[in-house]
Amino acid sequence: MSLAPGAALGPHLVARVEPGKIATLAMILADPNPIHLDPAAAARAGLGDRVVSQGPASIGYAIDMLLAAVAGARLVRIDARLTANVFAGDAVRAAGVVEAAAEVEGGTELRCRYWVEVEGGARAVEGTAVLLSPASS
Amino acid sequence: MSPAESPLRGHELPAGGFRVEPAEDGRLREVLGSPAGAGEAHPLWAYIAAQRGIGVSVAELCALAEFDVADGPLLGSVEIELAGPIGAGEELWVEGEIVDLVRKEGRSGRFDLLVFEERLRDREGRVVSRCRNTFVLPRREES
Repeated sequence: MSLAPGAALGPHLVARVEPGKIATLAMILADPNPIHLDPAAAARAGLGDRVVSQGPASIGYAIDMLLAAVAGARLVRIDARLTANVFAGDAVRAAGVVEAAAEVEGGTELRCRYWVEVEGGARAVEGTAVLLSPASS
Repeated sequence: MSPAESPLRGHELPAGGFRVEPAEDGRLREVLGSPAGAGEAHPLWAYIAAQRGIGVSVAELCALAEFDVADGPLLGSVEIELAGPIGAGEELWVEGEIVDLVRKEGRSGRFDLLVFEERLRDREGRVVSRCRNTFVLPRREES
């Protein structure tokens, strides 16, 4: 499947960023920063009273949104600018749009723009991505 | 010395190895809410495997830039390129270098941008992925 320029991607919704999953991701990332584990540490850092979700998690939500939007596609490239924090308990919404499509060897290359936002809050991540959608058999 | 002339530019990081264990990929997918991978690791491993597999910790990387990790480095941006899927269970070689260390000044004061690139290679030496990260290092004591 390929999509034309202007086509909307997503949304992909995460109903609630769970503190337990933030702690698990801290282990997977080998990230000892206590702002991801201890609300008091987040407060000491001036970040409020909830633990902070890791930026790579938001990039992961964006990747999942992109790959779900274009069945069978492969992620070739993604860049991400992290612009705001996501906190435990937040609901998150990832979405995007196709900006260009070109036929290349092996399929259609889709150049996309995407963003990840906290519901009712700030845009946490924004960037661009390139997907390769395989040629239809 | 100005960070614009940083001797860290091009500084090679100690290489290392990493394998994305299928069970750990499963835990990552559970955290993110991702579908199962059918033998392919989640693309986010291009970032994670590079960070964990390179032969230097985040604290040691910050120390190279004369920054105490306890002062709170921020992940400012990430660029990932994937030549193909990352195989779950596949042995990977991890290499990288510091691209630059650049002094900036903003509304919140002085900070440095530490840019570094890490690559995953497969057993045959082919680049599987590249990951270029920018850490924001606030220089609060100097502002």
